[in-house]
Amino acid sequence: MSMESTRSANSAKRSFNNNSNSASSNSNSNPSNKKKKTSQKTLGVAWGSNSRSSSRSSFSNSPFSNFGSYMVEKNRKLQNQFEAEASTSSHGGLGSVKPIFDGVSIFVDGFTVPSSQELRGYMLKHGGRFENYFSRRRVTHIICSNLPDSKIKNLRSFSRGLPVVKPTWILESVSANKLLSWVPYQLDQLANNQPKLSAFFTLKRSSVSNGASTHAPCQVNPEAEDSSLKVGTSGDTYFSEVSKRFEHSKQISGESDDLVDENSNASLVEEPANSSGKPCEVAMAVPSNIDTEDESSVKNYLQSNHYQPSALVSGNCINNQNMKGSPSSTVSEPSNQSHSTLGDPNFVENYFKNSRLHFIGTWRNRYRKRFRTLSDGFNCTSSNIKASALKTAIMHVDMLSSGTILNYEISLLLYAIQTTGKELLKFHLQTTLLEIMVGIKAGMFVRDAKALCPHLVIFPYNFEAYEEVADQFYSVLHKHGNKVQAVSCDEAFLDVTDSEGDPQLLASKIRREIFETTGCTASAGIAGNMLMARLATRTAKPDGQCYIPPERVDDYLSQLPIKALPGIGYVLEEKLKKQNVRTCGQLRMISKDSLQKDFGLKTGEMLWNYSRGVDNRLVGLIQESKSVGAEVNWGVRFKDVKDAQNFLSNLCKEVSLRLQGCGVEGRTFTLKIKKRRKDAEEPTKYMGHGDCENLSHSTTVPVATDDVEVLQRITKQLFGSFHLDVKEIRGVGLQVSRLESTENSKQGLERNSLKSWLTSASARTEELCKNNYVAKESSNQGCEGEGDETLVQLCGNSVGLSIQMDSNTYNGAACLNEVSVPPPLCHLDMGVLKSLPPELFSELNEIYGGKLVDFVAKNKGKTENMNHTLRAYSHEKIEGAMKEGQAALLSSMVFQNEIPVENKAKQHIAKEVPAVSGAESFVPASGLMKTDLIPSSLSQVDTAVLQQLPEELKVDIFEHLPAHRMQVFSPNVLLYPTEIPLEALGTKTAENNSGSKDFVLDNNLWVGIPPQWVEKFKVSNCLILNILAEMYYKSGSTGNLSPILQCISSVSIHQLDAFQDGWDEAMYILCELLKQYIKLKIELDIEEIYVCFRLLRRFAMKSEFFIQVYNIVSPYLQALVGENYGGNLHMSLKD
Amino acid sequence: MDRKDNQSPQGETARILVEFLEVAITSIVFLKGVYPSGAFERRRYMNLVVQRARHPQLRDYIHSAVFGLLPFIQKGMVERAAVIFFNTDGIPVERFVFKLAVNQSYGSKVEHADLEFSLRSFLIKLSVSESLTKVLPRDYRWEITAYFRSLPEASANKDVEQWIPTDTRQWEQPPLLTPIKSMSSEPLCVQLYIEHPSLSEPKP
Repeated sequence: MSMESTRSANSAKRSFNNNSNSASSNSNSNPSNKKKKTSQKTLGVAWGSNSRSSSRSSFSNSPFSNFGSYMVEKNRKLQNQFEAEASTSSHGGLGSVKPIFDGVSIFVDGFTVPSSQELRGYMLKHGGRFENYFSRRRVTHIICSNLPDSKIKNLRSFSRGLPVVKPTWILESVSANKLLSWVPYQLDQLANNQPKLSAFFTLKRSSVSNGASTHAPCQVNPEAEDSSLKVGTSGDTYFSEVSKRFEHSKQISGESDDLVDENSNASLVEEPANSSGKPCEVAMAVPSNIDTEDESSVKNYLQSNHYQPSALVSGNCINNQNMKGSPSSTVSEPSNQSHSTLGDPNFVENYFKNSRLHFIGTWRNRYRKRFRTLSDGFNCTSSNIKASALKTAIMHVDMLSSGTILNYEISLLLYAIQTTGKELLKFHLQTTLLEIMVGIKAGMFVRDAKALCPHLVIFPYNFEAYEEVADQFYSVLHKHGNKVQAVSCDEAFLDVTDSEGDPQLLASKIRREIFETTGCTASAGIAGNMLMARLATRTAKPDGQCYIPPERVDDYLSQLPIKALPGIGYVLEEKLKKQNVRTCGQLRMISKDSLQKDFGLKTGEMLWNYSRGVDNRLVGLIQESKSVGAEVNWGVRFKDVKDAQNFLSNLCKEVSLRLQGCGVEGRTFTLKIKKRRKDAEEPTKYMGHGDCENLSHSTTVPVATDDVEVLQRITKQLFGSFHLDVKEIRGVGLQVSRLESTENSKQGLERNSLKSWLTSASARTEELCKNNYVAKESSNQGCEGEGDETLVQLCGNSVGLSIQMDSNTYNGAACLNEVSVPPPLCHLDMGVLKSLPPELFSELNEIYGGKLVDFVAKNKGKTENMNHTLRAYSHEKIEGAMKEGQAALLSSMVFQNEIPVENKAKQHIAKEVPAVSGAESFVPASGLMKTDLIPSSLSQVDTAVLQQLPEELKVDIFEHLPAHRMQVFSPNVLLYPTEIPLEALGTKTAENNSGSKDFVLDNNLWVGIPPQWVEKFKVSNCLILNILAEMYYKSGSTGNLSPILQCISSVSIHQLDAFQDGWDEAMYILCELLKQYIKLKIELDIEEIYVCFRLLRRFAMKSEFFIQVYNIVSPYLQALVGENYGGNLHMSLKD
Repeated sequence: MDRKDNQSPQGETARILVEFLEVAITSIVFLKGVYPSGAFERRRYMNLVVQRARHPQLRDYIHSAVFGLLPFIQKGMVERAAVIFFNTDGIPVERFVFKLAVNQSYGSKVEHADLEFSLRSFLIKLSVSESLTKVLPRDYRWEITAYFRSLPEASANKDVEQWIPTDTRQWEQPPLLTPIKSMSSEPLCVQLYIEHPSLSEPKP
């Protein structure tokens, strides 16, 4: 009981507070009722503010048993009030005339202009009702100017399906003195104000079925075919139908007008009937077979159809209409089903499949691929032609005279059936003919054309056929001249300057051949330049040719309307018209300067030139495309974000395919969106984009790509940055620019993969303890006179020690400048290199600028030399070699001192050859060195380097110096003469022979992406290392340590101690990893190191393992920080 | 020659860097509460809300000091620029150090957006790093000091005169560093850290 009362009190409170607002607003204009309202209001306030118990008590005090009864009473009173007022203020009840708003009951929501009270006044005056409280039963219209987002999202729960209308509806109804349809006044914000396609389809469908049932197909909206008329025939029925018709047409053979084919009629009549009866079945997809559709059947069909008498009985009308329907449904199945992004997942694909503009647009790429060699060959000669300045002759060839199968400006191919006459229209029907007969013109909307000729049949494009024709066309052209510039798939320029014979004869020959091969006619224009040739073609059309000799150019141009010049479009024409310029002759009167002033530098010059017939373009200058993209501005309607995303990803696929088709990859991605303007109406063109704002965002990525997934990701990001209501989107385009040829980048890729392959291979061989002589070679091109000095660095790879051998006078800078973007030669494994196939090797060699061969050769020599020496146990020799190496190193260091990037240099060296420097530094100490090998400045250099070396290393160097000397020729060497166990030189712990540590000493744990340690750790048998490697990937593979450690901190730290095996080893490796990381980052990113160590310290508080790691590494860290920054890192225990 | 310099990546970078330093130093001064907050006004820089000194002298000091560095930064001579807070004895209490490195051999075009994006993060981080700093004693002073890799020649430029050699009193022990932010975006590398006297530093 108490529960229930609580609930009711709460709900009462909520709704009452809402109501009291409108009640109070209501009360303002009704002073007579003010008192009563006020009292109600206070009552409400009391309820709202009081506690549960008090509200209950107020309930019990009030005259109403509950809130519901109170509202009923209130509404009743308000109604009475309204009616009383209405009876006094209305037009005095003119009996016969119904008031405007009879039966209309409005509810005003929120702020409106005019105010709700004014609206109420109108309703009072004109017989409508005004509801203070919303009720589904009483209210007929909701009036509001603006809705909050939440209400729009939940429109149905807000409006309960009632129309939501702008207040202007009432005003205009009053001024028109009749009830206007509310539909145009629907609230702009509402999504359903945009005619949705689904709604559109259902409407049309019903109109179609209406038409069918009333047997008046001619009244059917011509767009019906476009939209959704889909008569339930299968392809088979269609064909049988066609054949029947064909037979029939043979029978009647054009003489009997009134003959009605009963057979086909019978079968056809019932289909529309079906469709009207069961509209849902109409939408059923029609299995189509476009491929089997051949032209002859179309022709037959046309013929048969043509024989249908115009005055048909009703049944025949249906028949006729049905026939219209069936080809469109069978031939162009996609066009029926997929007029918009709504409801068709493959919209993008189908869109481009059926887009003529797309075909023309992408045609060029196909052309270029096919005729690449030809045009390339010609390009080479073009400069010669220019130089020879002969009297040039350019031919412009345009296929199919005025209306090629592709160049119809009208959006689709048109075939008209002359219903009144009896002539048969040929297959090659020209628009001109259509124009004469029925007034169908190029550039017309289909629906207008259909209005003129209701029996118009529209065929989809047969792009395969066009392509074939285009290819044939170009084959002919290329046969006659190798200087061909393609303009479009059916239009081209030829440079026939150096062809023999009269260009006019050539032109007619070409035209004849085109006609013979393709069956299409072509027009040709010949003149001295491309501009004039094109204009000549204009005169030549249709199916003719025209030659404009240079002396006639002026005459020809003077009367030419400016519109005819290429490059002058509507806008420019209008501008010129304003200046009273209509012909080229008039245009010539204007000076170049004023043209450039008025139209810009380029356009001005173009106008000036063109009006004089000057055109300096050369035939054959094919411009590299700057961007590749795809844009869909037709039929784009999205219901929700998912639709849009789906559409985008399809668009990306398309773009990606195009990129791949052109063999390019791009770096800049631009997403263009057409957004419906706020007050734009539904566009005149069916499913067009109408009046739109154009928005675009773009982004550039560092690496060019044509990958679908990357495109999709980028596009989604870009799309997100628009923050648009997807319902407003009318067009989407994705454009990729900053193109790079795929071949180049593929090479890069290959290089990368080769690199990783080689590197990993060398790592593998390392583990196998194979003998590894790796040499490093670099040259300093920057230094004049130094020439190609090389440094060959031999590394006993398995020990991570490098001995530097000097083959020449070594230039220290060389080593420094070579900051090794391609994998340094020293990382290459000789074994792998040798076993490479020759092609790969030569490619690699190219990458390294031919140094690889020398390298290998040298290496071989060295190896042999080494082997030989080792086999001979020639101690002195090795020592000598080593000393030589040391000397080289030292001298390099002398050079380094002079290099401005001193610090870097030292560090580089320190990184590269700590072990060697160890070796080198013992030399003076042991007194083994020979003075002639050592530069005079040795001691100075040496200390500088030594200072750069880590503290421990310095100590180690001196400690292990004697040990080294003893160990150089330890039994190991005797057993495996090729493996030099010089590790003792560089390694801290001589007793550590375990193979797992070897790689640590390479100092390149952080080299590569992913860094080398990741792979090593992954295969390690230590849990903690495995975790680290795993976290590398989890943290997003940034190459920074801190995210990895952060990831680890999310793992339970206690787990980290839960291993015993290889504790020491793991710790050693981890310390080494950290040290190398510090070394890598200390100079440039102390913050990162700081973050890492704070995390480490946090781990150390929980993990024994990390305490040790931390304790080992942190002195090292502080020492390095001290060197670089003159202080210690502040590792307080605050956190 | 000068014009050419300004177009080189180093000149470009230096210009951005100097502008950034001016803002950053003002932010530090604001952060430390050297002057009442009324001495600053909110401004927008790199699409961030930053503080700008309202007092012309303060503004001029920071501006002229930092812009005096421009030629040196361009040449890569400035190693560090520090905002140093002293106590009355002239012993530093806290130092905000910008460690600068401009890659002199960088030849390609500077990506403004990248650079600004990186520099923004400094200002963001600075505004929240008050907890890392120390409470300053009463009556402290502050100054901007730059550490050069080598002393500039006297005759180099007029700007040089604004910068005089100084010998700030140093701590006897190496200080404790608290990194605030580091960034490295070719051709510029900037690191900001705070230096505090080491715990073992003899108290004055």
